[in-house]
Amino acid sequence: MPASMTLPDLASATANSGVRSSALANWQATGWPGPRVESWRFTKLALLEGKTFAPAHDFADQPAGAGMDAAESIGAHVLRFVNGVVDPSDIENAPEGVNISALAADEDAMSHLRQMVPPAHPVSDLSLAVMSAGIIIDIKGRVDMPLMLSFEGDGATTSAHPVVFVRLFEGSYLQLAEWHASTAGLSAPLTGIDIAAGARLEQVKVQTDGQATTHLAATGVTLGAGASIDGFSLSTGGRLARLETHVCFAGEGADCNLSAIYMGRGEQHQDITTYMDHAVPNCTSNQIIRGVLDDRSRGVYQGRVHVAPDAQKTDGQQMARALLLSRKAEVDAKPELEIYADDVVCAHGATVGELDATQLFYLTSRGIPKDVARAMLIEAFLIDTIETISNETLAAILRPVAQAWMAEQETL
Amino acid sequence: MTALLEIRDLHASVGDKPILKGISLTINPGEVHAIMGPNGSGKSTMSYVLAGRDGYEVTGGDILMNGVSMLEMEPDERARAGMFLAFQYPVELPGVGGMSFLRAAVNARHIEAGEDEVDQLGFVKLVRGKARDLGIDDAMLKRAVNVGFSGGEKKRYEILQMALLEPTMAVLDETDSGLDVDALRIVSEGVNLLRDPGRSMLVITHYQRLLDHIVPDYVHILAGGKIRKSGSKELALEVEESGYAGIDDAA
Repeated sequence: MPASMTLPDLASATANSGVRSSALANWQATGWPGPRVESWRFTKLALLEGKTFAPAHDFADQPAGAGMDAAESIGAHVLRFVNGVVDPSDIENAPEGVNISALAADEDAMSHLRQMVPPAHPVSDLSLAVMSAGIIIDIKGRVDMPLMLSFEGDGATTSAHPVVFVRLFEGSYLQLAEWHASTAGLSAPLTGIDIAAGARLEQVKVQTDGQATTHLAATGVTLGAGASIDGFSLSTGGRLARLETHVCFAGEGADCNLSAIYMGRGEQHQDITTYMDHAVPNCTSNQIIRGVLDDRSRGVYQGRVHVAPDAQKTDGQQMARALLLSRKAEVDAKPELEIYADDVVCAHGATVGELDATQLFYLTSRGIPKDVARAMLIEAFLIDTIETISNETLAAILRPVAQAWMAEQETL
Repeated sequence: MTALLEIRDLHASVGDKPILKGISLTINPGEVHAIMGPNGSGKSTMSYVLAGRDGYEVTGGDILMNGVSMLEMEPDERARAGMFLAFQYPVELPGVGGMSFLRAAVNARHIEAGEDEVDQLGFVKLVRGKARDLGIDDAMLKRAVNVGFSGGEKKRYEILQMALLEPTMAVLDETDSGLDVDALRIVSEGVNLLRDPGRSMLVITHYQRLLDHIVPDYVHILAGGKIRKSGSKELALEVEESGYAGIDDAA
């Protein structure tokens, strides 16, 4: 068993004989990935080694965080998590079409979730085993009120392990926002999103955890026939943040837009890792990734598009661009295509650059101060990515976060 | 009277290569001076040196605006002090909306002067009014700065910026390049509207034809990094007839 996470709280999981005990056994056998694990080569978890975190298990109220304000601004129904524990009062009064139930009691659901989430990811095992909160959110029909999952919390030695399984039933529709603003030591959300045939999810995730937080998110998405997801993540928080998403195309004609912006400064490490598993024909996936890195921050983009032999007519696109604002900032980009079908349209690309000196000169020659000019060019670099968000309500909560980051840039 | 712009024995290099080799020029308020010269004479270098572009190093001499040296000033500080450069090749800024760009530029002056920022609605009206004079339509104003503009549109957009920023010292770098006869006329009319007793202009051009439209008070011939000859507007016609070769010899 690794030195970290040897916690009495895990006794309950150990006593269990089902999915959670198997997840725990896996975690105990493997622990945090070492430097030789290929998928973690660019993102090292050395700072977690030897650390002992205590997962919270009871809901402790706190003053409302930024996610609550954002929820209010778009009239969303909120599920609030403090240190990974859900506010029990939020479970009730869910909007029509939304049914929330306990995950821990549903062995089949946990088993299903486990098959969807990134395999060999420490959070897939650990958070399922610990499970500070475990909820299933079932969606039937068209739900017009957006749903906000607001994650807050604190405590340098606290870890949060919320597990959320969202199941969109056939033909349903949901707008889902996820807001992370926790200063806990470890934020390890595990999410499964099962989108049945013809259903559609519009989703944004804002990750603004504290500057000392390690944010490790593992998400698994399954798309049925004709299902679609428009997902967008903005990651500016955390000392180290990795947002890993695996998407499985299980039914034909499914469509996945999964874009992200990551922004880093200071010693931050921002990682966006995606895996598109095109298992069936006639599906499309599109990813636009933009990174802005200042100071000594580091960015990682790993995107793999896998096209199975039968998955003809797949359209898989990924384009990653990073903007380095400092000579000490670094980025590792690893877009990969694994194509085993012969009739596909796939493209990928990755570029790294800095602000264009000629553009900066043009702006400053008009009297615009250099710091303002830089912010304008950074925003310009990001804007087409934000404009891909089809849902204006969700885009509206995201834009101020990016702008706040740039405003901070001006005052530094 | 203090000269609006006084260039004193200016030497400048790009990289380690000396380009300007001792230029002296005095421009009084309201005067329009033209600088003509063959390719490689240092015309564009001079415009960039005046605007303060990185990489254009002044190795000797001084540039004074209203009696104050500009050498230690950044490009944005020079601009807010009244300097304006109309670019030979206006720069495309994908993702930067035209209106927010223009507003940021005008606001930068207001903020420096301790005035309120411009009101958004009033500003849109102001821009539209000035844009109409230059044949710039709303669709063009809404686009990202210079993106997808034709050569003529880019030059008109430069003059629109000049009209909004109301500089005291405007440097027009090859504003005629890439323009057909009609576009040249529109741009020149736009510039002439901005002639003012308090505003001076330095018109840099390779060809005399621009000076038929923007008639200068003085013409200087630049060659090999030095002003070889200065005179009235007739000097431009002389160059048109005999080319730059004769001028070079005369120096």
